[in-house]
Amino acid sequence: MKITILYGTETGNAEMLAEDIQSELENDHEVDCLNLSDMGAGDFDPSRFYLLVCSTYGDGELPASAQPFAEAVAAEKPDLSAIKFAIFGLGDSEYEETFNFGPKTLAELMQAQGATQIGERIAHDASGPDMAEDLAFPWAEAVISEAAEAMGEDA
Amino acid sequence: MSTGKIAIVGAGPSGCFLAQSLLKAAPELEVDLIDRLPVPYGLVRYGVAADHQGTKAVARQFARVFDRQGAEFHGNVTLGADVTLEALQGAYDAVVLAAGLSNDRPLDVPGAALPGVWGAGLITRALYDHPDAGTLPDLGPRPLIVGNGNVAIDLLRLLAKQPEELEGSDLGPVATDWLTQSGIEEITITGRSPAAQAKFDTVMIKELAKLSGVTIHVEGAGSSEDAAEAKKIEAVLALNGHATGPRRVTFRFGLAPLAVEGDDHVTGMRFKTDAGEETLPCTSVLTAIGFCADGQLPRDALLARAQDIEAGVLAPGLYATGWFRRGPRGTIPENRADAQALASRILADLTPDPAKPGRAVLADLDARVDYAGWTRIDAHETATAPEGRVRAKIARREEMLRRAREEES
Ligand SMILES: Cc1cc2nc3c(=O)[nH]c(=O)nc-3n(C[C@H](O)[C@H](O)[C@H](O)COP(=O)(O)OP(=O)(O)OC[C@H]3O[C@@H](n4cnc5c(N)ncnc54)[C@H](O)[C@@H]3O)c2cc1C
Ligand SMILES: Cc1cc2nc3c(=O)[nH]c(=O)nc-3n(C[C@H](O)[C@H](O)[C@H](O)COP(=O)(O)O)c2cc1C
Repeated sequence: MKITILYGTETGNAEMLAEDIQSELENDHEVDCLNLSDMGAGDFDPSRFYLLVCSTYGDGELPASAQPFAEAVAAEKPDLSAIKFAIFGLGDSEYEETFNFGPKTLAELMQAQGATQIGERIAHDASGPDMAEDLAFPWAEAVISEAAEAMGEDA
Repeated sequence: MSTGKIAIVGAGPSGCFLAQSLLKAAPELEVDLIDRLPVPYGLVRYGVAADHQGTKAVARQFARVFDRQGAEFHGNVTLGADVTLEALQGAYDAVVLAAGLSNDRPLDVPGAALPGVWGAGLITRALYDHPDAGTLPDLGPRPLIVGNGNVAIDLLRLLAKQPEELEGSDLGPVATDWLTQSGIEEITITGRSPAAQAKFDTVMIKELAKLSGVTIHVEGAGSSEDAAEAKKIEAVLALNGHATGPRRVTFRFGLAPLAVEGDDHVTGMRFKTDAGEETLPCTSVLTAIGFCADGQLPRDALLARAQDIEAGVLAPGLYATGWFRRGPRGTIPENRADAQALASRILADLTPDPAKPGRAVLADLDARVDYAGWTRIDAHETATAPEGRVRAKIARREEMLRRAREEES
């Protein structure tokens, strides 16, 4: 499958995870990895499956590298009805009230333009015991097989 | 084949992010991170609060810089004592100063030298088991915090916490006992500006609403038309009346320090207010008003002569980044952006000279700790963590050095 991993980050944790996911998937898929800051609202390609990896900052806001993208999507309102994506969040449960709000905002933004979310939004907790990749690899595998089915491809 | 040799002085977030960016763009570079401590990561280890382990998780990225990207760690090497700047410049194609700012900016008012006045850096280093820290002082029952930045809030939160609220932190036994037995009855925190312009982040304030043993009063928070300012004021006001225990916490704003009062020890602090003057009695004064250079490196002179300080260029082949360049402002992400920009600049400037010896210039420093040495310290610290703690930091330099040298059995 053709996959693009898009990451939104501020201190680089999401970038590191995105690269780890890329290495993990590369043997079986054609995988690109891109910072959301380098992604235009009109750059989506329906033949690709999008894996979003995004942290949360401030008081539940998107991280710096995702903000221009979010603003562009909100302003340009691209038609994303042919686009399928899954999303993985990096957050910290110390920020109780706004835990993983960044990815939530991003998913809602994509959905508002008609994109279809595959699977549940999974969250890593920086204050929890798990390594992000231990949650993200099984997540990626699961959403890819679900997406393959939906997109009529071999996983 | 090496495409150049770069020495980065300071293995804090700035130095590590810089090495990460450099090696990402040019994996063949020889990048050496030199730190005066036997352990890397700077203020991630010794500044970021013990009860903010999530923020410290950024160290996982930094570990990769050594593990996978091939940077070398040269710990326990002090620039200005063990090796000179000139020697480094002679040995490397580029030298970067990422040494941070470790001294507390002094409070510039009469009485600031009285016993009982302590800097936030001094206290946090002692709390977090920094090897060069002194012992934790007695603050008495009514400490007063001067400053309204995130560091001031960190201090307030730790002083206000009950022992069980420190679960999951890496606070050591000495600091834990000190906090548990502090006998603190009231903590006053004062800011020079109105709440609207306070430097702390709103999330830091919201976190205080979780404190389980305090009664919080907020005085004179004021109001603002500006949305961001109003949000900040709202967060502070939301704390007013939070009552979960007997330890009193009072927020005061618009108080400009005039003098520390007392004969042979702090007894109070006098401020200028809108209405005139006011003296708040207290048993100690904790200043959290910023940081400055420690004098080991001629920072002022270097910055004054800088070729392009905005770009981090001090002189040909000599650069600065992070707090050392920008001053004591900005969180970890800002250092990343700074370091990424500087990495591009260095790579553009770099003209490798194969005759430069690089890390051979450090070879005679026998007490150096390498990355493998740090991983032995790290493994020991995590393996010996007591119940309720994620790590048991080694506080003494000699013990760090001993652990670092110990071969794995
Ligand atoms: C108490 C406190 C709490 C903070 N909490 C947070 C937080 O929760 N979140 C956040 O994002 N930011 C926080 N910050 C800010 C953050 O720590 C800084 O933005 C960041 O550490 C600056 O990075 P740096 O690499 O420039 O400096 P530093 O982290 O200070 O690193 C400098 C390194 O240089 C070394 N060094 C110094 N002099 C020499 C020398 N002569 N020779 C060799 N090595 C030398 C030091 O040992 C140190 O390892 C906090 C800061 C403080 C002071
Ligand atoms: C200042 C600050 C604010 C944060 N705010 C939130 C938040 O509101 N909700 C959340 O779930 N995580 C929050 N986090 C945690 C980060 O999302 C988490 O550390 C993540 O691993 C960072 O990933 P990144 O390096 O890719 O940006 C915050 C972290 C910091 C330093």
